[in-house]
Amino acid sequence: MPKDFSVSVLLIAAFLSCSTVASAQYDGYKPLADLTGFKKKFAIESAKVVSITSDFTQEKTLTALTEKITSSGKFWFKRNNRVRIEYLKPFVYLMIMDGDKMLVRDNEKENKINVKSNKLFQQVNRIMIDCVQGTILDSKDFTTKVFEDDKVFLLEMTPVSKALREFFKTIVLKVDKHDYSVNSIEMNEPEGDKTIISFKNKRLNEQVADAVFAL
Amino acid sequence: MNKSLMRYLLFSVSCIFCWSCASDYRYMEAVETNTDCISKLVPNQFNTSWYHASVDVVGKHISGLLLIKNMPDSSYRVVFTNEAGVTFFDFGFTRERSFKVYNIIKQLDKKPVIQTLQKDFELILGLPFRGATYQTYTMKEEVFFGAKQKKEIAYFITSKDCASLRRLELGSSRKRKVTVHLKGQQYPAPDKIELVHYTFNMQINLTRFEKE
Repeated sequence: MPKDFSVSVLLIAAFLSCSTVASAQYDGYKPLADLTGFKKKFAIESAKVVSITSDFTQEKTLTALTEKITSSGKFWFKRNNRVRIEYLKPFVYLMIMDGDKMLVRDNEKENKINVKSNKLFQQVNRIMIDCVQGTILDSKDFTTKVFEDDKVFLLEMTPVSKALREFFKTIVLKVDKHDYSVNSIEMNEPEGDKTIISFKNKRLNEQVADAVFAL
Repeated sequence: MNKSLMRYLLFSVSCIFCWSCASDYRYMEAVETNTDCISKLVPNQFNTSWYHASVDVVGKHISGLLLIKNMPDSSYRVVFTNEAGVTFFDFGFTRERSFKVYNIIKQLDKKPVIQTLQKDFELILGLPFRGATYQTYTMKEEVFFGAKQKKEIAYFITSKDCASLRRLELGSSRKRKVTVHLKGQQYPAPDKIELVHYTFNMQINLTRFEKE
């Protein structure tokens, strides 16, 4: 197994990748007319979000095997660059990111990782920052198309780099028009499998203790 | 260095050397095969199950979810993803022992890695024991049912009274290479599986969970 292989990188990449198929059509959605205006507004509104506390449900579909696995847990974000993702059911798994540092804990072990030590980590970290700062639409890691319906902006992101394309065909991000927070992330893999992470009970800008992100 | 110390050191080194050369199976005694025991405990069937998996390889630790899917044609698919859902590999195993890589990420796409994982999961799935011819041995209050493979022997090991399946093992004629320990409920849907390699530092731990 290669030395630089890191599941954690993939995990973050999975969370950050907001993908879909290029030129895909989305029922009920139409292409966004004013992309420039949206980019500006997205950056401004995202900047207002200082913290997020949310529950999430994740559904992984193995298309060829007609199998689905659903997991759930809690998500925290706090500016700047601090994220905690905690799976609670049906397994326990924790990931905390704080700038260049990261902690991953499963049933058996705890790993601390310096993001700077790995090129892929750095790339993923940059994507994360772009997402948080509302500048993901300017990211060179993806080409993005934006669609909308009455309540949601749909961002279809196609990875540019070969490294990311290996994991994701596209990532589709659904953004709430009301507060520009993310409703769901759909990761579409090259072989046809997909994972949808849906956020619910979102609470924006509540007090979140620094201890939540302690490494 | 005085002579007695020199003798002691030489003796110690010789003992260590001899010990490392000694066969793991040197105390085995061939016995008649108990076909009733084989019928009762042979681990040659695996039900579709989800596992939380952790893999430790030469100091590196990764974890994720492992699906073992029993397909309608009696073949198996083994899919390993990380917790967030990204697929690392998807392997297919048929009854006839053919093997197919449906999907694997570049970082794992190396022949030695694939071959190791193939053998490991063949043993976990009990494929060496499907339709096998057995040589049976006893050693230390246990019964070893050995199925000859190309270069190795796959054993399923039971208690002497055939009350329970103790573990699975893959070895050469002299050396134990891989052991599969089982805890809790056993085949066809083991609760916990611990696979240990003895020729290099690798361990796979699987803990079964029920889907929500």
